Amino acid sequence: MGYRDVAKIGIGGPVGSGKTALVKHLVPDLVDLGYEVGVIANDIMTQEDADVLRRAFAETVPEDLVRGVETGACPHTGIREDPSMNLAAIDEFTEWNPDLDVVIVESGGDNLAATFNPELADYFVFVISVAEGEDIPRKRGPGVTQADLLVVNKTDLAPYVDADLEVIDRDTREVRGGDPYVFTDCKSGQGIPTVREHIERVLFA
Amino acid sequence: MPTDSSAFLTALRLADSSLPVGSYTASYGIEQYANEGLLEEVSDLRAVVEAYLERVVGPCETVAVANAHAASADGDLDGVLAVDERLHAVTLPREFRESSTRAGGQFCDLLLAAADGEAVAPAYATAVEAGTTPGHYAVCFGVYTQAAGLECEVACLTQGYAFLVSLLGAAQRLGRFGHTDVQSVLESTLPVLEEVCARHVETPLGEMGAFAPFAEAMGMRHERATRRLFMS
Ligand SMILES: Nc1nc2c(ncn2[C@@H]2O[C@H](COP(=O)(O)OP(=O)(O)OP(=O)(O)O)[C@@H](O)[C@H]2O)c(=O)[nH]1
Ligand SMILES: [Mg+2]
Repeated sequence: MGYRDVAKIGIGGPVGSGKTALVKHLVPDLVDLGYEVGVIANDIMTQEDADVLRRAFAETVPEDLVRGVETGACPHTGIREDPSMNLAAIDEFTEWNPDLDVVIVESGGDNLAATFNPELADYFVFVISVAEGEDIPRKRGPGVTQADLLVVNKTDLAPYVDADLEVIDRDTREVRGGDPYVFTDCKSGQGIPTVREHIERVLFA
Repeated sequence: MPTDSSAFLTALRLADSSLPVGSYTASYGIEQYANEGLLEEVSDLRAVVEAYLERVVGPCETVAVANAHAASADGDLDGVLAVDERLHAVTLPREFRESSTRAGGQFCDLLLAAADGEAVAPAYATAVEAGTTPGHYAVCFGVYTQAAGLECEVACLTQGYAFLVSLLGAAQRLGRFGHTDVQSVLESTLPVLEEVCARHVETPLGEMGAFAPFAEAMGMRHERATRRLFMS
């Protein structure tokens, strides 16, 4: 068993867009569906952060399947040019848990150009938030255009940051060119089932 | 030390920071020097890097590369395993061992496992894969460079250079050093690297051992650091 034998979901996107919030919804959902799940977060800053991460999944994921992987202040290198340390962590997961079905890798918060290496992620989800500005989709960053699924999060905040969801929807549809995207509000959980359905359809068909 | 063009290109490839073995995640204690305010001036950086060359790169890493290279040339798998075991024993901080064996594992996966079937390389790669030997980077490096036709001293210099550049890269990402400062430290430490490699390329395995208590203490304290961007 090794990293090639499990499904891998990469979650990327700018700092604070809601990657961890999304992972916190997805993990229990996937566990409920009967999948054995591992979680990796990049750029954990302290042991305390790692403990917080483990506690967040304490009910759903065994401790040895939750791991922080430091990326030497190069979050995009860790998921794109040289994912070897993430792959090594996944190899260790599979060594101890041969029944593992899927690993979710959350990238460190990065810029709109940070995409996942296809050897690290079978399915690449890019998370942006409406609070980062209505014009984010229009910038056509590679993360936004190339991800398998684009998640536009924090729709609940749109009225407070003068973001027009209709404009975002129109721009997103155009730059995605027919590829899927989902509006979510991780606070209320709105849109999360759609994200999960996309992932399930592709990875576990 | 003439070297043919294919060996030269292999050396360049192995010293390139784009070689995907995760070196950018290892600082070998440099992050802790920065965390503790010990890496403020360019002179601090130069002193720390020179000390690494004198006390770790030379007496440990170079001795490992050279002895692994020699054992590999003799077709002596047990000899290679002995280098791996010794390097594991003399590398005190846990995170240094982990950074080295994780990078070694990736190097095996990427290069060693596919190396010439007659050589020691595939047998050693199998042992690393099976977990019966730690698989330190310097040992993988020595075995592979021998199979790829690099002279022993060229192999040692290549590994030392890659290590040096990776330490400086970590320092640059952590501290307030400009690119010209980092290049000037690199330039002034290259002769040290040369001298250290020449001195240790024939050191027998039994004399391998680092004396870098301060760096080792930094490496150990990093485990409980208040800030961690690096694995070591
Ligand atoms: N109102 C609102 N807040 C959200 C939503 N999703 C996440 N947040 C909040 O936004 C903040 C950042 O969310 P995280 O999930 O930590 O973001 P992240 O992308 O993981 O951040 P980094 O890992 O630091 O890059 C937290 O305070 C979340 O509670 C949302 O849909 N609506
Ligand atoms: Mg996060």
